[in-house]
Amino acid sequence: MPGDSTPAASQAASTSALKSAPSAASHPDPSSITVTKAIPPTFDLGNLLCHDPTPLPPLPPPALLAATARDCAQSLINQLLTACPVVTAAAGGGVLMALPPATFPLPREKPLPRKKAETTWERFAKKKGIRDRKRGEGGREYDAGKGEWVPRWGYKGRNKDGEGGWIVEVDEEKERGLEGEGTGKTVRGEGRRDRVEKVRRNERKQRANERKGRKSGGGG
Amino acid sequence: MLRQIKPKNARSKRALAKQEPLMQENAKTTLFLKGTSSSSLVNDLLTDIHSLKRPYAIRFTKKNPIHPFEDASSLEFFSQKNDASLMVFGSHSKKRPHSMTWVRCFGGQMLDMLELYVVQETARTLQQFKGEKCKVGVKPLLSFSGAQFESPVSNQYTLAKSMFVDFFRGAETQTIDVEGLQLLISFFVGEDGEDGHPAKIQMRCWRIVTKRSGQKVPRVEVEEIGPRIDFRVGRTREANEGVLKEAMKTGKGSEAKPKKNVETDVVGDKIGQIHLGRQDLNELQTRKMKGLKRGRDLDIDEEGEGEGEGAEEDEDVISEEEQDMGNGVKLKRPRLT
Repeated sequence: MPGDSTPAASQAASTSALKSAPSAASHPDPSSITVTKAIPPTFDLGNLLCHDPTPLPPLPPPALLAATARDCAQSLINQLLTACPVVTAAAGGGVLMALPPATFPLPREKPLPRKKAETTWERFAKKKGIRDRKRGEGGREYDAGKGEWVPRWGYKGRNKDGEGGWIVEVDEEKERGLEGEGTGKTVRGEGRRDRVEKVRRNERKQRANERKGRKSGGGG
Repeated sequence: MLRQIKPKNARSKRALAKQEPLMQENAKTTLFLKGTSSSSLVNDLLTDIHSLKRPYAIRFTKKNPIHPFEDASSLEFFSQKNDASLMVFGSHSKKRPHSMTWVRCFGGQMLDMLELYVVQETARTLQQFKGEKCKVGVKPLLSFSGAQFESPVSNQYTLAKSMFVDFFRGAETQTIDVEGLQLLISFFVGEDGEDGHPAKIQMRCWRIVTKRSGQKVPRVEVEEIGPRIDFRVGRTREANEGVLKEAMKTGKGSEAKPKKNVETDVVGDKIGQIHLGRQDLNELQTRKMKGLKRGRDLDIDEEGEGEGEGAEEDEDVISEEEQDMGNGVKLKRPRLT
């Protein structure tokens, strides 16, 4: 009789469920999405990783392996679909999900990148407190005497102050030295000569630093 | 040790620059190679694991006279030469049948090693499974079942777990396509048997099949696609503590800064909050009209002087038509409110 056979069948099902706890037979509903485990699994969603610490018998049968794998997959996908926010895909693809950063500790492939060695200029600038300026920044300064902002260098630059004055103080010693060479140098060109020499000196230093940097192999 | 090359042209410079250490690292490349004597079983399984690992894998086909646990220098050379930090070395001998040595490198030097022997009776290759296979290069789901993988003290099983995660996790990604969740690689370890034999590690690969469950989350079924491998654990070499500490470092600032005032709602739309300054209504730009022009104002002032004070009080804003009709005889100054 059908009335008698059903309890017997359910009895058999329950005993088989007892024998292999998390097997497929333990799910009465084939469309169930809930997973019950003795010890709940933990996840690392960044690596799509499921840690399932429930102990297995010494020689687990294949059916148990399949059921355990299914349970892990189900619980991992449950977790993914509930915990991860959905990112709408731009190019007509499927549903994209944002994964959290991975947490399982793994060694790196290579050591952390080392900082590049300082160049001579960088070291010098740090010592002197010179910082990089943006284009146009600091090109002008306030001239209290004129009461306006004037350029530091270039056309009508402040570094040319005192050049081209209509009257020049003459140091006789110096004047004699210039004339002695007979090169057509005058005291009037003194300021300009100093300025040009300063530029040349700086260029010389720059080249020397580059050469030194290349030799020591640092920074470059 | 690899010769230090000084790049002489732009191409070799680029190639070398690609191998330099990065703050956020690329996916590790795996090298598959075999010893002077190797069994066809191990070769086949190496091929299968290689196909799971593609595209982050290189396969060598020649024999190599290497014994990783005696001298790993050749492996280190290969690691540096190929910019590969993971290796699987297959070999077979009477004493160590069907062995696979899983090697991890850090900065071109060997970090740790794990020797696993394939149990011949239960091993099945990818070809021996009929049915649909997974696509190449999908990021697999990984699962580790068994209490021994979770041991608080590091043992051969925790080492194996760390190795397998490193080998199979693929590239790190911020997002994943739901369609791409196709492959599950699961590892099982039982309790140690009564006969004193240490437990085997069982590796199984499954294709994930989803079915409608009537709810938001689908019902998941698994279908074995191979390879199926049972490993007995052999020799291990743990990482040097100092080197491991160096290898576990994560750079400062590698973690993403939390974004303020930007959030994503349930539908997946991005919502941002913007803070504006206080609005000054006196500066508000209203409709522009000819009559409001400042230049005119001055003219009117001069003209309007003869009109007297009374006329100016009850004036109104004039539209352009009105102005035209008035033939420009009288222009009134608009009242500013």
